Amino acid sequence: MDATDLNENIRRSLALLIESADELRDLDQQLGDGDLGITVSAGSTAVIGALEQLPADATPAEIAKATAKAFANANPSTMAALVAGALLAGSRVWADKTEIAIADAQAFAAAAADSIAQRGKTQLGDKTIYDGLVAVAEALVDQTDADTAVDAAVTAAADAVERTKNLQSRRGRASWLQERSIGIADPGATALLRFTEAWRTARRSG
Amino acid sequence: MRKIINAPEAFVDEFVEGILLAHPDLVKTPGDDLRVLVRADAPQQGKVGIVTGGGSGHLPLFKGYVGKGLCSGVAIGNVFSSPSSQQIFEATKAVDGGAGVLYLYGNYGGDVFNFDLSVDLAELDDIPTRTVLGRDDVASQPKERKQDRRGVAGIFFAYKAAGAAAERGDTLDEVAAVAEDVVEHTATMGIGLAPTILPTTGQPSFELPDGEMEIGIGIHGEPGTRRGPLETADEIAEQIVQALVDDLELTSGARVAVLVNGMGATPLEELYVLYRKTHQILTGLGIEIAKSYVGEYATSLEMAGASISLLELNDQRLELLNAPAKSPFFEEA
Repeated sequence: MDATDLNENIRRSLALLIESADELRDLDQQLGDGDLGITVSAGSTAVIGALEQLPADATPAEIAKATAKAFANANPSTMAALVAGALLAGSRVWADKTEIAIADAQAFAAAAADSIAQRGKTQLGDKTIYDGLVAVAEALVDQTDADTAVDAAVTAAADAVERTKNLQSRRGRASWLQERSIGIADPGATALLRFTEAWRTARRSG
Repeated sequence: MRKIINAPEAFVDEFVEGILLAHPDLVKTPGDDLRVLVRADAPQQGKVGIVTGGGSGHLPLFKGYVGKGLCSGVAIGNVFSSPSSQQIFEATKAVDGGAGVLYLYGNYGGDVFNFDLSVDLAELDDIPTRTVLGRDDVASQPKERKQDRRGVAGIFFAYKAAGAAAERGDTLDEVAAVAEDVVEHTATMGIGLAPTILPTTGQPSFELPDGEMEIGIGIHGEPGTRRGPLETADEIAEQIVQALVDDLELTSGARVAVLVNGMGATPLEELYVLYRKTHQILTGLGIEIAKSYVGEYATSLEMAGASISLLELNDQRLELLNAPAKSPFFEEA
């Protein structure tokens, strides 16, 4: 995937992701403060606008950085800052790239996951977006076919969401609910799932 | 609860508003958020900005040290709570003069979390940052875990030195090195005689029977690392100064700056009684006191008690302490 395709696919995916905003808001109201819906919808809208403004010769790393910056500033929240930091970390592994291969997507997901773990002081099983990101990064390892890789990422993200239902939230506001959080899917991991689904749909319609 | 407040939840916004109204020549809010304060003349073009921040309830810490020759901006949290990453980032943008921004704040989990998030936000805005954590409380961790200590009143020395370095035009790496060097040579220990009462709960932060004191307190109304009988001022000074001298490994011929700090409800007279003995002990050990500060520098609302901080001096550190500075709560002419 070259930079132009990347830019287009991010914009198409986020346009689709905005349709999940109400679902994410409702989930987050059960576990957090309910601002994930607006973080995702305002953030996605801002990113689409920012990527439209990028020059045609913007590199994949520059696209990732522009995405991070627009997302962070649209609806400032801890989640937005964490995601922005993750995208920034991902952009660093793309420093010299002009084409994004599956292995580069894998490296991006892994770097993003590491950033969330470090910045968010979180680990596997804390019931956060990190659980989903780690699963996606692992699913992309050694993939050679793009369609299969995207399917594997969606399946991994969906499985991760299922697993978070049985877990107790250990980070953020959701952790205050303690055992009452068990039985509810993690909103952050769900947002990642909806993004991977949107990415797949966007690719196939592109 | 006996406090001069209005609605408890308006407490922070209202005292910040008061600071702004009282000192419009010194500080301003760059945007609409009262929780972000910067120097009235920010940004200083070509100079390194210094952003600090943390919970409220510690005045003059943190917002009282925004001014010339000190910090350039501050992000203000609720009482004893971290500010948000966005507030820190707002302060960062407002003080950035093109030479980068130093994050200088106390070592507390919530603050580290939010400042680190802001490091990324700043990088996305092409503002380079460095981070130095105040970690001077010798009672909070033994010396072998010095890096994990919490930051208390001694961060004042780092503000003063780093602020002076930024003012004279040092680079970001140089200002960060100055701050780190000062933190490395600072040690503080405190005692508490009465708890803090949080405006939102109205409850004392701990119960302390008559005739006892908490030793090794922080600045969040928390109990200390141990409890003991209330001693005389001289005995308290001896206990604390000995711990600090040991921690900094000071020997005869060393030079220090001394800070005797009140926790909020202890009269200045008592602080001077403490200073008297501190001075005598240090002088007796052959340690020269080149600079002394007595007063409220980092409080814990109306907690009664005091802390003593020592900074081991060399020529550079002393020169930076002596440089001019002016904020709503501190002035060095």
